[in-house]
Amino acid sequence: MGRVALRGIRAHLVRFLLSVLAVALGVAFVAGTFSLRTMLSSTFNSIVETTMLGDAYARGALEDGAEGPSVAEGGDVGGARERIPLTLVEELEAVDGVATVVPDIAGQVVLVGADGTAVINTQAPSFGMAYDPDDPTMVLSDGRAPATAGEVALETVTMESAGLAIGDSTTVIVGGALVPVEVVGEISGSGPLAGATITTFDEQTALEVFAPDGKTATIAVYAEDGVDQAELVDAIESVAAADDAEVLTGDLMREEASASIEEALGFVETFLLVFAAISLFVGAFIIANTFTMSVRQRMRELALLRAVGASPTQVFASVLIQAAVVGVLGSLAGVAGGLGLVSLLRVVFEQMGMDLTGSIPLDGFTVVVSVLIGTVVSVVAAALPARRAALVPPVEAMRDDVADVEHSLRTRAVVGLLLLVLGGATVAFTALAPDSITWVADNAGVMLGVGAGAVVIGMLAIAPVIARTTLRIMAAPFVAGLKPIGTLARGNVTRNPRRTASTAGALMIGMALVGAASVLAASTQASTATIVEDEFTGDLIVQSATYAIPQEAIDTMADVDGVGSADAIAFASVRIAAEGEEPASDYVIGVETVAFDRALNVTVVDGDLASLDSGEAAVKRADAENRDWQVGDELTVSLDGASVTVPIGAIIDTRALGSPVILPMDVYERVVPATASTVDTVIIEAADGVAVADLQADLTETVKPYVILSVMDQEAFASTLADQVDQVLTILYALLGLSIVIAVLGIVNTLALSVIERTREIGLLRAVGLGRLQLAGTVTIESVLTAVFGTVTGVLVGVGLASALPAVYADEGLTALVIPWASLGWMLALAVVVGMLAAVWPAVRAARLPVLEAVSYE
Amino acid sequence: MRALAADLTGAGHIASARGLVKVYGKGETAVRALDGVDVDFARGELTAIMGPSGSGKSTLMHCMAGLDTPTSGTVLVGGEDVGRMNQRALTKLRRTRLGFVFQAFNLIPTLTAEENITLPLDIARASVDREWFDLVVDAVGLRDRLDHRPNELSGGQQQRVACARALVSRPAVVFADEPTGNLDSRSSGEVLGFLRRSVDDLAQSVVMVTHDPTAASYAHRVLFLADGRLVGELEAPTPETVLEALRAYSPAGRPAGQHAAQVRA
Ligand SMILES: Nc1ncnc2c1ncn2[C@@H]1O[C@H](COP(=O)(O)OP(=O)(O)O)[C@@H](O)[C@H]1O
Ligand SMILES: [Mg+2]
Repeated sequence: MGRVALRGIRAHLVRFLLSVLAVALGVAFVAGTFSLRTMLSSTFNSIVETTMLGDAYARGALEDGAEGPSVAEGGDVGGARERIPLTLVEELEAVDGVATVVPDIAGQVVLVGADGTAVINTQAPSFGMAYDPDDPTMVLSDGRAPATAGEVALETVTMESAGLAIGDSTTVIVGGALVPVEVVGEISGSGPLAGATITTFDEQTALEVFAPDGKTATIAVYAEDGVDQAELVDAIESVAAADDAEVLTGDLMREEASASIEEALGFVETFLLVFAAISLFVGAFIIANTFTMSVRQRMRELALLRAVGASPTQVFASVLIQAAVVGVLGSLAGVAGGLGLVSLLRVVFEQMGMDLTGSIPLDGFTVVVSVLIGTVVSVVAAALPARRAALVPPVEAMRDDVADVEHSLRTRAVVGLLLLVLGGATVAFTALAPDSITWVADNAGVMLGVGAGAVVIGMLAIAPVIARTTLRIMAAPFVAGLKPIGTLARGNVTRNPRRTASTAGALMIGMALVGAASVLAASTQASTATIVEDEFTGDLIVQSATYAIPQEAIDTMADVDGVGSADAIAFASVRIAAEGEEPASDYVIGVETVAFDRALNVTVVDGDLASLDSGEAAVKRADAENRDWQVGDELTVSLDGASVTVPIGAIIDTRALGSPVILPMDVYERVVPATASTVDTVIIEAADGVAVADLQADLTETVKPYVILSVMDQEAFASTLADQVDQVLTILYALLGLSIVIAVLGIVNTLALSVIERTREIGLLRAVGLGRLQLAGTVTIESVLTAVFGTVTGVLVGVGLASALPAVYADEGLTALVIPWASLGWMLALAVVVGMLAAVWPAVRAARLPVLEAVSYE
Repeated sequence: MRALAADLTGAGHIASARGLVKVYGKGETAVRALDGVDVDFARGELTAIMGPSGSGKSTLMHCMAGLDTPTSGTVLVGGEDVGRMNQRALTKLRRTRLGFVFQAFNLIPTLTAEENITLPLDIARASVDREWFDLVVDAVGLRDRLDHRPNELSGGQQQRVACARALVSRPAVVFADEPTGNLDSRSSGEVLGFLRRSVDDLAQSVVMVTHDPTAASYAHRVLFLADGRLVGELEAPTPETVLEALRAYSPAGRPAGQHAAQVRA
């Protein structure tokens, strides 16, 4: 039987080719994700290994209630920890066995390159640090060390991407101020830095700007020769403990750093794998279709096998063997494709200045898991057709024409309808339930997910049931306009609704996701536009490309003629607790209370904003409800040992301000030091009688030296926010693109196979005078109808489900429901184009069939 | 019985062939399916072609109908030189000037009987001549089956639909390759009766291949083919005279009809 199966594949290789391709594409995504992760992980781990060389590290204790090692951010390992005093450095240096002590003195800076723009390397961070001659991770390779406030040394790659050289003058935005500096030296790091921009300062300057409080996050300790890590930790432990610092070995520290990197990469991996899974799922449709059609075509052959004594199990196995062969071939091609994809990505990243040195590994895990996934998917997809093959009665072999037993679609109709109704009801209920039913709000995500899943599966199940009628209606214009070929095409797509529906189903899934994403994006954009319009009452809004506006720039802007007021909105990560609550990490916003009169418009739900003038706090309604805060409750806001306790003076509704607690600036400054505070937005009000456009021009000129700042009016601000949404949307579209490509292959596959299946019919049509173009037209109309059917059902499902989101997530700022009709129209147009493209090859094949051979085709 | 009486011009005939040769394959394995056939098919006649299996009957039909290109020789249909036509012209010829009926699988399963019948007209974007359509449909006796799909029709009914389709465009000539080959004798009778009526009452011209002496007896004239050559003909045949002729023309005096029944091509 195995031989029969393999011969079958060899004889009809072309028929299985697209299935192999579908598996290959899905598996390429999986393998690519795995090896991308491995590459990133080895890149970042080698950064850890070459930049964290200490034999021991001292760091602050965990803040109350904070959880273990947190996700690494910008090389700053360990988030919610107390800072430790720099005086510890000298104490540690005095300990026996200690060779060198290097405190971590670093912070965000902006380096202006030779071309006058900020040096920003895609997603890699840009930071400044103290140049420490004792630090073995930095070697001065050229020039000299920075000695005064006006001097910097740049890391080699940074120097290159900034286009600067030793002796050049440029500017650096550091500590909130624009500082003219001269490049005096070049530092070579001891390893790859994935494109991070590194500027080093003299120790004095660095201390002033990055550690004005005399504290640091970590201190690296290097041992003298012959002292091992454990001995070093023992030696310095008591000294550190006196300053409330804990000590751990360098190896442990590196392990923690690696663990948090792995965790972060794990998220990326999971995110990508979701899209890979969608692609594979869609690919499974192609495989299922291929095997259904191949089994149908080989009915007589299979019956013959049964007649000569093959058992149903053997027939079943022979089909599954074919599926496994398809799966293995596709998977192997996919693994190769995945590696190619990642190599390509690396080149792209390199072009963007992000050096990913990690090797692209062909590890056993990637190969085994990818091949396994691809094979299992195709075997599972072929299981139903295989069962059908196994159940062929041997007597079929004697029959002249193979009866096409169409099983009743009743079960499908019932199950599909049930799932659609239940799923739809769940989603609708989640969206429409009154706020009083709290368990709905608490489980909204799960309920939406389950409901949406049910609707999608229900739609897939019911698609063949509705296909006939729907396709008839959609085909009407073709039938009326293109006489015989419209009718022929309609007959072809409706004759086997199961096949048409599952071909279209693959496209439906992708289009549902694209439709949902486009509704979500349009709604988000409209929602943010209303936020801007309703809540930002100032004339101009200033924001920064690095999300941080230097303090000096704010002061400068406030002094510009024509500026009535400039209100900065500052935020910081702190710990917040009401009485009797465990402190929890959260954000707090600091703003001058007058801003509520002129720059911001928020709705007061309870209490009074005037209370902020007397030092009380405002809290957002959603958080107040969640955490049961009332006006008058006392909140304790703390950071690094400093803390304030303030009563809640007002509960407000706002979407412009993103943190649960808003403090008056003077209170905010009592707990948040300047180094921990970030101003991300400044709202400017023009003085009376000053034209906003003129002011905008003036301010733009003023902030020009701060290369990262942009001054926007409301409209520009809203469109900037919309652009950010579009960027996310573009990434989503790109990731969903593959599943749509696979779905298109599915259409090509079905068409090509049914052209083979209909060879005699095509011969007959040609014999009675159907021209080649007419024949190609028939195939094309079939294809377009299938694609449009998939797209329309998909878009209906996607848009329908996404329409529930604003009702559920209004509190999170999604207040408007916008259905982007234009985009949906484009999707429909895309479906037509896709249908036409998918038809090209099958149509050419059909047209090329020699009439006579086709007529006598068995 | 008269000698091979083809006048050299073929004028006055609905279809004719001169020196028709068809060779399949090359070199050692080459098969001369037609080996110099000169034949004329008379206007307004039902002509039957008989011969042993493999004698080239289907090949002759295909070459006459422009479905296959002869190796040499000329084919005229309704005064037009089929051999000189390109694919496009042949396609047009097939849908306007020719009708074709195969042994089986004549109908498009997704179309109703009526749609199948009017298919050549629809393809040509020609309007249906209702009067003619009614005449043909009534002649095949399928008026009450027009809305049925092929799988709802019996084999005989399907072949009659196919005949109606072949006639609907008023072709110069209808070629039918064993149109009753798959039918029982009663259904065969219906189909053959219709073909004969279409000639007698509707003034059409039909050429059909058959193995069955009874079927051949419906024709005005029977031509006998052997090894790719025309070996004889018979006017106003009856089953008996046909059988007799078959015996005479078959190689070892063996009845060709029996031979063919054993090895169906
Ligand atoms: N496509 C083909 N390729 C090769 N040989 C063929 C082909 N079609 C027919 N033949 C050969 O040509 C001869 C005549 O065939 P055919 O016209 O089908 O005979 P008939 O219809 O009288 O049984 C046979 O020997 C047959 O094997
Ligand atoms: Mg034949």
